[in-house]
Amino acid sequence: MPRRNERLDDEIRFHIEQQTSKNIQAGMSPEEARRAAIVKFGGIERAREAARDEVRFSWLADFLRDLRMSVRSLRRTPRFAVAVAATLALGLGAAIAMFSVVNRVLLQPLPYPDADRIVRLYQLNSQGGRSNVSGPNFEDWRNGTRSFTEMALWQNWGRSPAVGLGDPRRVPTIRVTARFFRAFAAQPQRGRAFGPDDFSGVAQTAILSAGLAARIEDGDPLNRTFTLDGAPLTVVGVMPRDFDYPVGTDIWLPLNENEAVTRSRSSGNFQAIARLADGVSLDQARAEIGELGRVLKARYRDDTPAAGADALPILDVMTGPSRTNLMTLLSASVLLLMVAVLNVSNMLVARGMSRRRELAVQLALGAGYGRIARQVIAETLTLCACGAALAFAFAATALRVFVAMAPAGTPRLQEIGVDWTSASAAALATLAVSVVLALVTVATMRTRQPASGLSDGTRGGSSSRRQVRLREALIVVEVALTLILLAGGGLMARTLARVLAIDPGFNIDSALIVDLTMSSDGEDGLARRVARQTEIVARLRTLPGVEHVGLVSSFPIGPGFFNNGTFVEMTRVDEFTSRDQIRALGPAVKPRQGDAGYRLANGDYFKAMGIPLRRGRLIEDSDGPGMPHVAVISESLAAAKWPGQDPIGRYVQFGNMDGDVTGIRIVGVVGDVREIAIEATPPPILYASYSQRPRQAATCAIVVRGPDPVATAGVVRRVIREIAPDAPVEIRTTDAAIDSVISTRRFNLWLVGAFAVAALVLSAIGVYGLVSFMVEQRLREMGIRLALGAQPGALVRLVVRRGLLLSVAGAGLGLAAALALTRLVSGMLFGITAGDPGVHATGVAVMVVVAASASYLPARRILRQSPAVTLRAG
Amino acid sequence: MAREADPDVEALPQGVLDLLILRALQLEPMHGWGITERIEQWSEEVFSVGQGTLYPALYRLERLRLINSHWNLTANNRRARYYALSASGRRHLQKQLTSWRRIARAIELVLQASET
Repeated sequence: MPRRNERLDDEIRFHIEQQTSKNIQAGMSPEEARRAAIVKFGGIERAREAARDEVRFSWLADFLRDLRMSVRSLRRTPRFAVAVAATLALGLGAAIAMFSVVNRVLLQPLPYPDADRIVRLYQLNSQGGRSNVSGPNFEDWRNGTRSFTEMALWQNWGRSPAVGLGDPRRVPTIRVTARFFRAFAAQPQRGRAFGPDDFSGVAQTAILSAGLAARIEDGDPLNRTFTLDGAPLTVVGVMPRDFDYPVGTDIWLPLNENEAVTRSRSSGNFQAIARLADGVSLDQARAEIGELGRVLKARYRDDTPAAGADALPILDVMTGPSRTNLMTLLSASVLLLMVAVLNVSNMLVARGMSRRRELAVQLALGAGYGRIARQVIAETLTLCACGAALAFAFAATALRVFVAMAPAGTPRLQEIGVDWTSASAAALATLAVSVVLALVTVATMRTRQPASGLSDGTRGGSSSRRQVRLREALIVVEVALTLILLAGGGLMARTLARVLAIDPGFNIDSALIVDLTMSSDGEDGLARRVARQTEIVARLRTLPGVEHVGLVSSFPIGPGFFNNGTFVEMTRVDEFTSRDQIRALGPAVKPRQGDAGYRLANGDYFKAMGIPLRRGRLIEDSDGPGMPHVAVISESLAAAKWPGQDPIGRYVQFGNMDGDVTGIRIVGVVGDVREIAIEATPPPILYASYSQRPRQAATCAIVVRGPDPVATAGVVRRVIREIAPDAPVEIRTTDAAIDSVISTRRFNLWLVGAFAVAALVLSAIGVYGLVSFMVEQRLREMGIRLALGAQPGALVRLVVRRGLLLSVAGAGLGLAAALALTRLVSGMLFGITAGDPGVHATGVAVMVVVAASASYLPARRILRQSPAVTLRAG
Repeated sequence: MAREADPDVEALPQGVLDLLILRALQLEPMHGWGITERIEQWSEEVFSVGQGTLYPALYRLERLRLINSHWNLTANNRRARYYALSASGRRHLQKQLTSWRRIARAIELVLQASET
């Protein structure tokens, strides 16, 4: 600016000097000449200002003017503006929401100092799978490693019934060794951490989570005494709110490490955690512990099931199962964003075309292309800014819905919120794309002769043909992207249908499931617990509307305790009465062994569940404590262990499950039942009689079946309260149980389906818009043809064919992409392959039918138009 | 940010002033004072260019890339800003001249017709 002012002053001075010298030549005195020159100039200051105003076309002023013009021109076409902003808001909003979720859940470090250096340590089994750690192996690692510090063990203590911490309830409990909290560099916010007395058992103490402490309303949680699983404990500390490891834990108890490391080397009783030592990389640490694992295997051979060892950052462990899901959802949202951007560009190009006349006038009046380009870009940016603002609002709402609906088990949900980093990145990317598109639009508007735009606004000149070609290309890509989403959604829908069609092996009609936990501590604790459980079952059986009351150690579907082990077949009921006798057999025991899940059930369980009896008999009420122990086995166990033979009447030793070495006689074979997940293969199972071997059933499930058992939920709860007032009770239905294991699939399907439908609608709008434009352009030609006797139907077909051709081209392109991309989600599918021809064919069919309909609607205009009117329209 | 022209100062309609300036520059590059002199001379002193509007007009034309400018020395070694027609300015001038002549002729025809 100063330079310009200087220039102006110089010019004015020069001008006045020239005029003055001219005046002097004309005979004026020098003063007179100068005065006259200034008068003639017409006011120096005025000229200065006026010129300066012309000069001061600063960037900002221009930008503001462009902005004002954009707003004005967009207000003249509100439908266009709303359509563009809404489309962007939809695509961008979904992408921002998913970006935020992925960023928070998968990428943000956990809230511990140097959280990426905290690792879980695993034993690797012979197949390379990660498994729990045995105490002695942990001790050998600890003595042999230089890569880790603050190595600690913890043990899942289940959901123990707690009394004295507000309402009696089952509380997720963990036992931890001394360095556990140090590995996280965390300590209690109030109170203290565990000390030597706590670990040696001198003091019976517990540390609570901030969440549990906050739920205690009657007084200070610190130093309070309560009972857990019947044992009295004192609260010595409360952890900070941020500390949540393992996720969901409410009570931490001390675990004596010296004692833990003396336990069996063959059983994986513990989880291990550690911090990487200073200066050690994860790769180095993994190499070291891997080597240690191999050394231990060579040293202990069959005494340890661990073939190796590995370390994995806790965040990877936590988010691992959700990673594929979330990345798939993110990809789907990015596809939708691309469809939205393409649709918007299509609208922008269309608008560019409809404004050719206006722009031609501007060009004819001398405006440069740069000027017009700037205007188009300003308009695009204005629209994008509106779209982005709406998108943020949409994303915030979408995230709240996401958190509310997300399947249980999605990690770090409470941390999710709109993430401004990813939001800005997504918005900037969209703005950049929009600017490029605006430039392309400008490029297609460029014609050599503005006059052609003036004289010929609607009939295709060369530039208009270029624009139509561009729009057609955009539509083809849009259709292709939509097809990918349709295919993905279709595969998920098909998978869910397959999963729902699975027969889980039991009657899924609504029954009541009571999850019950009862303490069996203290003198004759076990006998008292059994007596109460038996009484509960007996009382429930007498309720009106109840036909069967089954008792099982764990309801098959959903979370629970599922013990699996190795049994040994015996030639007679008392062949082996101790583990030592079996061990003495050495390798000779191998052919006698079999693997099975170990469940406890009463006879009514199979009736309540509708599990069919295949052969032999069920467990009867008469198979009581004093009688020979009996069991029924599942078909798959019979087929695996005794193929072609009759398992009934055989004896097995399964004492390693509960310490009861009494031989068990197999009396029947029942149908297979799926466990944990409904799509898992049914495992081989042995059901022992609950009344004979009740040890493993402190936590059990009671299944109440009748015409309308759900209506009796209140009575059921009351009965249990009467008999066992301090036992935590959770009541659910079979529907809810099934629902909980398919919720992830349903959620994914719901989201991807929503994205696919949105993309489909956008594509349909795109095709509709383009075909409308083509019809408009050729209305005059069509009118002439009609006037000359052409069949209207033939003309409609002509137009529809064009739209159809585009969608088929897009669908073809999309099919190729879908076949390649859906392979990446193979792991999420069940019962079908990623290349399922039915799904892909349906996707293509839906896409083509929708596109054809979208083409037909505008084409119908040809039929409605009377030839005379059409002719005049030109 | 163009300011409304003050009728007192604006001796000529803007479009006409632009046309005259471009025409004056058609033969050779000139400084601002030279342009006013040339226009006065050619118009036989009918148009005394409101010089207070000359420089704004020059700056505007320069911004539209119809003319460009550079510093140079005059015949008697004075430093002055010289303006020259750009290629697009030349085209613009041709176009404007053609249309002006058509309009002028049309006006003349109309005026003559009304005289008879």
